[in-house]
Amino acid sequence: QDRIQLRMSTVATESDQRTVALEEAFGPGVAEFASYEPHYNGTLFRQATELDAIARGNLEMAITSAQELAEFFPEFSVFTAGYLHRDAAHQVAVFNDPLMDPFKQKVEDELGVKLLTVMYLGRRHVNLRTEEEVQTPEDLAGITLRMPGTEAWLFLGSALGANPVPMAFGEVYTGLQTGAIDGQDNPLPTVRDSRFYEVTKQIVLTSHLVDLNYLAISKATWDAMTPEQQEATQAAADAAAEVARNRQLALEDELADFFRAEGLSVYEPDVEAFRTHVQAAYLASEFANDWPEGIVDAVNAAGN
Amino acid sequence: MLHRLALWARAGSDFVAASMLAAIFATFLVQVAARYVFNYPLGWTVEVCLTLWLWLVLFGSSACLSDRDHVKFDVLYLSVGTRTRRIMAGLSALAVMIGIASQLPAAWDYVDFYKIRRSATLRIPLNQIYSIYLLFCGILIVRYGWGLVQVLRNRHDDPAVDPFAVTPPTVAKPNISENRSED
Amino acid sequence: MSIAFLACLAAVFVLAAIGTPIGYAMLLGGVVYLAAVGSDLSLAAEQLIQSVYDGYILLAVPLFIVAANIMNAGAISEKLLNFCVAIVGRFRAGLGHVNIVSSLIFAGMSGSAVADAAGIGKIIIGMMTKDGRYPRGYAAALTAASATIGPIIPPSIPMVMYALISGQSIGYLFLAGIVPGFLMALMLMIMNHIRATKIGVVEDTPVPLRELPRLTGVAFPALLMPVILLGGIYGGATTPTEAAAIAAFYALLLTAFFYRSLSVREFYRQLVVSARQAAAVGIVIGCALIFNYIVASERIPNQLQALLAGMDMSPLWFLLAITLLVLLLGCLLDATTIILVVLPLFIPTCAALGIDLIHFGVVAVVASMIGLITPPYGMLLFVINAVTGIRLRDIIINVVPFLFALLVALLILILVPDISLWLPRQFGYPG
Ligand code: NA
Ligand code: NA
Repeated sequence: QDRIQLRMSTVATESDQRTVALEEAFGPGVAEFASYEPHYNGTLFRQATELDAIARGNLEMAITSAQELAEFFPEFSVFTAGYLHRDAAHQVAVFNDPLMDPFKQKVEDELGVKLLTVMYLGRRHVNLRTEEEVQTPEDLAGITLRMPGTEAWLFLGSALGANPVPMAFGEVYTGLQTGAIDGQDNPLPTVRDSRFYEVTKQIVLTSHLVDLNYLAISKATWDAMTPEQQEATQAAADAAAEVARNRQLALEDELADFFRAEGLSVYEPDVEAFRTHVQAAYLASEFANDWPEGIVDAVNAAGN
Repeated sequence: MLHRLALWARAGSDFVAASMLAAIFATFLVQVAARYVFNYPLGWTVEVCLTLWLWLVLFGSSACLSDRDHVKFDVLYLSVGTRTRRIMAGLSALAVMIGIASQLPAAWDYVDFYKIRRSATLRIPLNQIYSIYLLFCGILIVRYGWGLVQVLRNRHDDPAVDPFAVTPPTVAKPNISENRSED
Repeated sequence: MSIAFLACLAAVFVLAAIGTPIGYAMLLGGVVYLAAVGSDLSLAAEQLIQSVYDGYILLAVPLFIVAANIMNAGAISEKLLNFCVAIVGRFRAGLGHVNIVSSLIFAGMSGSAVADAAGIGKIIIGMMTKDGRYPRGYAAALTAASATIGPIIPPSIPMVMYALISGQSIGYLFLAGIVPGFLMALMLMIMNHIRATKIGVVEDTPVPLRELPRLTGVAFPALLMPVILLGGIYGGATTPTEAAAIAAFYALLLTAFFYRSLSVREFYRQLVVSARQAAAVGIVIGCALIFNYIVASERIPNQLQALLAGMDMSPLWFLLAITLLVLLLGCLLDATTIILVVLPLFIPTCAALGIDLIHFGVVAVVASMIGLITPPYGMLLFVINAVTGIRLRDIIINVVPFLFALLVALLILILVPDISLWLPRQFGYPG
């Protein structure tokens, strides 16, 4: 009875693509030597305290984000920047590229957290209740865009040209309905699951952020494993991420038509204009001061 | 003399707690005005309110509330005789002291851990914000320790000698024990 | 269920029984659990700190408390009561109806049942028992029973807490409580009519109709409060927490400038009282949320779900069973503890059974508010007893018929979800 206990705490729900894939592919993959014990809806640890819990030895696994890691290590903000990752495959290439090594090493050394694999969340698009067509960042001027309530997210909102407003996710539907906000940004599956399409008129396919999560595990737990167990854990994590990624991509592909059928206009704006505007904003921002020299070029080159 | 000091301490801690609450109230009004009147959303207001709320709860409950201001299940306590009450009050005070003291080193370590992390918008080190919990523990240990001494001297039911039982200006939670004598 | 968990429960119950404040009893219970399973003892502090520091929606709680206290200190309660007497005092068993209607109106302004009972309880009971019109116990019991409506009609501190544990929108929960609140009032009015006729209360002289416009004019600004609050939320101007701040601000303007009944000194006094009440509620909330961690660690919702799945219960029977459990626990536990500690155990099963979580929230909050008037632990009974000095025994005997009326309302709410869900749907609730 010395099976390894792998408690995983996340604020995601049990029907989330990521958590379903972990239950289906990760749990069975480590079942021989470990019991995978997921806790959903933030019931074990609250949002953004999971890494702290792992660091203090009170938790084994979590799904974390670049935004959360940037709270400890500001250089991670590079992975929160708009128009950095091109697509899902590019994300994987970047994560496995040697450029990530110093990032991973620092998280292991200073927080005792090992980043196992990268998980694809989807492309974030701008979803508005207004009717005027949006082609360039200038068209978003004066539009109040709901963003998650941290500095990095709010910056992304203003980099897009909008007026970012922090609001809890649970209040977004009512906010859109009543006009407290003009819009929100999320991947298409979220727009469907939270029924934002019922209270909005258009989706501007800006693809401004190819959003990601990292699957994290306690370094101490990892080090206590045999090399075979480590290999199996790594393989199970990669497999689960792959399953979730493929499902999310398939879902995104079919959803544009679904929203059109619901009467929304779904179109691609002048993405190049957004890319130029957003990248310029990031490079001129304080975030960029924390980025390692040449990181953006290295990311661009990864996977080519 | 001690009694007078306690009265001052009480008025002082009430002032601190009331100021925190007033600040939460005012900050919210500023937030609403900034967003909807001046169309200029402020990022820092939420964090200020949450910090004040944490401080108000932990400081207020330990420093301002007397034992009987708390939400309590005192049906049993009030139905027993003076001797049993004395034992119960003593055990309760002892339990709080031991319980709070036993987790204090771990809590200290927890608060200390947060020197590596700063708050989301104002970038205040979180160990400073969370340190109110240590003060909360400290005040509780001292107060319940004092309460235990009063129990041992058999004077805990006499409000005159319990500096923390000084009747507040308006009773927050109606003082059940005093009005139920006719039952 | 592990031995550690049983030890934790035992610690909480023993400590609470010997008179330890409930918040601290739960904090210590948490420490006992962590020690028993050999975990990091700081997790109790961690859960307490994070749940309070992360609680943006909980910030509505201190603000609703400030609003209620300012209104109680100013002359608002009195103006509203005069208005109610003029409107419904003319009917049979009129003062009893005045009691219920004024609770209903007060419910639209304050978020807590205790604040309602303390705010209008003394005045209305004084009016009802003057010259022996109504028996003292009857007046006290009706006041306690009608105060349970307070947190069903928005604003509502218990609904805010339910939103916190269930992840449901506060806006929809507030809307969902409005019709049920009126239903409860209606049931109480029917029972008041039956009982008052039976014991033969003395009728009141009706207020002359020509007085009505003046009384309405005076009460009108206070009657606007619920409109401002809900209008702020649904008009898209404010989040529910901001609406709470605006409500408090409006109450302040009203009492200070319109009614000119609040001095600076009195305002400070109310701030002190509010700060204490906010701290007392806050510490119970924070410490109760430590149990989220313990319950999750023990995987109790999963076990319950497995157990209930094996019993193959229909959603309706499940809802009835949970309601009964909440009512029984309501005899012994504080409503905050029930909502924050007990309800989260069943929410996953509710969702799995397809029970609407807004409907469940209304049913559960109504049931826990009914717990406020069930002995031996009935906070509203204590409050009325404390502010009026009427014997507890008298209140309890007289509260039974009204308790029955509220239970009938609760049963109707369970059987007809549309009563709760109709209004939210009008505002776009997709459920
Ligand atoms: Na209310
Ligand atoms: Na009760």
